Amino acid sequence: MASRPGDKHPALLALTSSALLLPAYQGVRADAPPEFTEIGLRYSKYEEDDTQGSKTFGGSSQRYDIDAAQFHLLAPVADNWAVAVDVQWEDMSGASPWFVGESLDGSPKVIMSGASIEDTRTEVSVTTRYYYDRGNAGFNYVRSKEDDYDSDAIALDGSVNSADGMTTYSGAISASSDDIEPTQGSVPTNTIKADKDIRSAWVGVSRIVSKNAIVRFGLSYTYRDGFLTDPYKLYDQRPDERKEWAVSTGYRQYFFWPNGALHADYRYFDDDWGIASHTLDLAWHQNLGNDTQLIPFLRYYSQDEADFFANIANTDQRYYSEDYRLSAFGAVSGGLRLRHTIGNWAITAVGERYETDESWGVYSGEESPALVDYWRYSFGLDYIFK
Amino acid sequence: MKQLICLCVVLCLCGCETVQPWERGTLAKREMQWQADAMEISLQAQINASKEASSGGQGAAGGGCGCN
Amino acid sequence: MQRWALWCLLAVLAVPAVAGVQAGQQAPALSLPSLSSASPAQLSLASLQGKVVYLDFWASWCGPCRVSFPQLEQLRQELAPQGFEILAVNVDEFEADAREFLEEIPVTYPVVRDGTGATPAAWGILGMPTGYLIDRQGVVRLVHQGYRKSDGTALRASIIELLGE
Repeated sequence: MASRPGDKHPALLALTSSALLLPAYQGVRADAPPEFTEIGLRYSKYEEDDTQGSKTFGGSSQRYDIDAAQFHLLAPVADNWAVAVDVQWEDMSGASPWFVGESLDGSPKVIMSGASIEDTRTEVSVTTRYYYDRGNAGFNYVRSKEDDYDSDAIALDGSVNSADGMTTYSGAISASSDDIEPTQGSVPTNTIKADKDIRSAWVGVSRIVSKNAIVRFGLSYTYRDGFLTDPYKLYDQRPDERKEWAVSTGYRQYFFWPNGALHADYRYFDDDWGIASHTLDLAWHQNLGNDTQLIPFLRYYSQDEADFFANIANTDQRYYSEDYRLSAFGAVSGGLRLRHTIGNWAITAVGERYETDESWGVYSGEESPALVDYWRYSFGLDYIFK
Repeated sequence: MKQLICLCVVLCLCGCETVQPWERGTLAKREMQWQADAMEISLQAQINASKEASSGGQGAAGGGCGCN
Repeated sequence: MQRWALWCLLAVLAVPAVAGVQAGQQAPALSLPSLSSASPAQLSLASLQGKVVYLDFWASWCGPCRVSFPQLEQLRQELAPQGFEILAVNVDEFEADAREFLEEIPVTYPVVRDGTGATPAAWGILGMPTGYLIDRQGVVRLVHQGYRKSDGTALRASIIELLGE
């Protein structure tokens, strides 16, 4: 479940939500299972910056810290099958925004939740995939559990190559059912028990442009239905339906002389809450010899505010929210990834910095005093059984 | 706008000389995959979806995201 | 503009008519420089006439080739005395990549090379790897696309059948 501001009860505060569905192999390798079994481990640390003293009642406050571990296993089974198992554990602690108030000078300031909370979330995902000569099809099940949040999700996806192998057509559908039972006691919650359903569909096409380049396009639609409000926020009342569209495109090109590849991805998102966003991801994969890769990456994100967002919520309205994540802002993030192979082993290290500011976006709106900045580090180990 | 997108899609999908099966060595490189590091992509996507209001794009949405 | 776009889309989706080498046809002539050091500088299919030959088009970047090579090596060691031979044709753009692969997965059967793309084009290769099982008379009897783990068993049966002819 995504990280969500909450009080002493850490439900919904998890950093990672259930895995986005992506076919394991696309493009060039859509029609053959992996040759060897591989496993991987990742440890990540996520640390939010303290809130700004000038924007917080009671002065600057510590925010959120999350430790996350991921395990991944991918194994071929018989001639035409593959199985993937992914497990995630997250341990979270810290304070988060509870509501926003107007300070003496008229500017909005955030009131943070009190003492530090702790919670753990576990998620298990299993995917079975069948490969035939022109493509593959997969079935995925994910179960996620934490103190006050349960989620079950299934998904089906498939890919087909064109006869000449130049184009791959893919599609996926998914459905999930979530149960929310906010822990009672410290803070009045918006509900005792609630649920929500998510249905989603995606189609994509990927095409070989040249010996050195590929391009892809994707379109997705997601429908959320049920209790969509944040139960731990003081002033939060959201519609019980949300319809989202996303259009995306991606490009990869290899350059012989520098021996590296350029990655570019763009997504436009739009929903019926008034939120629209642009996302641009860029990365350069630089090979250093045969065993090492250095990958600097940069991301630009800009979103518009929800129709019902306001720093000081108007509770006379039908819908309202002070959640900074529904405000207008721009976010710039970037970092470096390093991967080094030694025989059948690979070690990876990632460092990433993420910062937000209302003025960095292309949409304008009220700036939330609770915009978040964070550091993230990850370390990993992979092994392939050759 | 829609016509422009259509045109872009068609232009990109078309007018490309066939790359023969034996010429696809570069495309098989690790750095030329749509996603080379599944765990990293998954983690980043989930952090972003929980700190921002958008999600998805390259695949159907996964299960329960507590990020309303 | 709309009609042009439609033609373009049709061209993309149209199935190309490829006239590749099919089972039942006489195998075309093939003579290429050798990669393996223990063989003559140039190797030809003609020189293998009278043997059952498995002609394997492979590349260093082809994943299934990591599975096929050890299996083919085993087949060759077992059936060579009966007149079976394998001729592997590497189609890598860069020879260094092929040599690196052979260092990692060495084989005793002859390996030749064509980095120009002319040979795979002439044979109408539709995917990597592709193998052609050729009988003692030089007729292609089987075209084998891709390579799955259990393919060795089926291939062995076909080879033994052809050896018995």
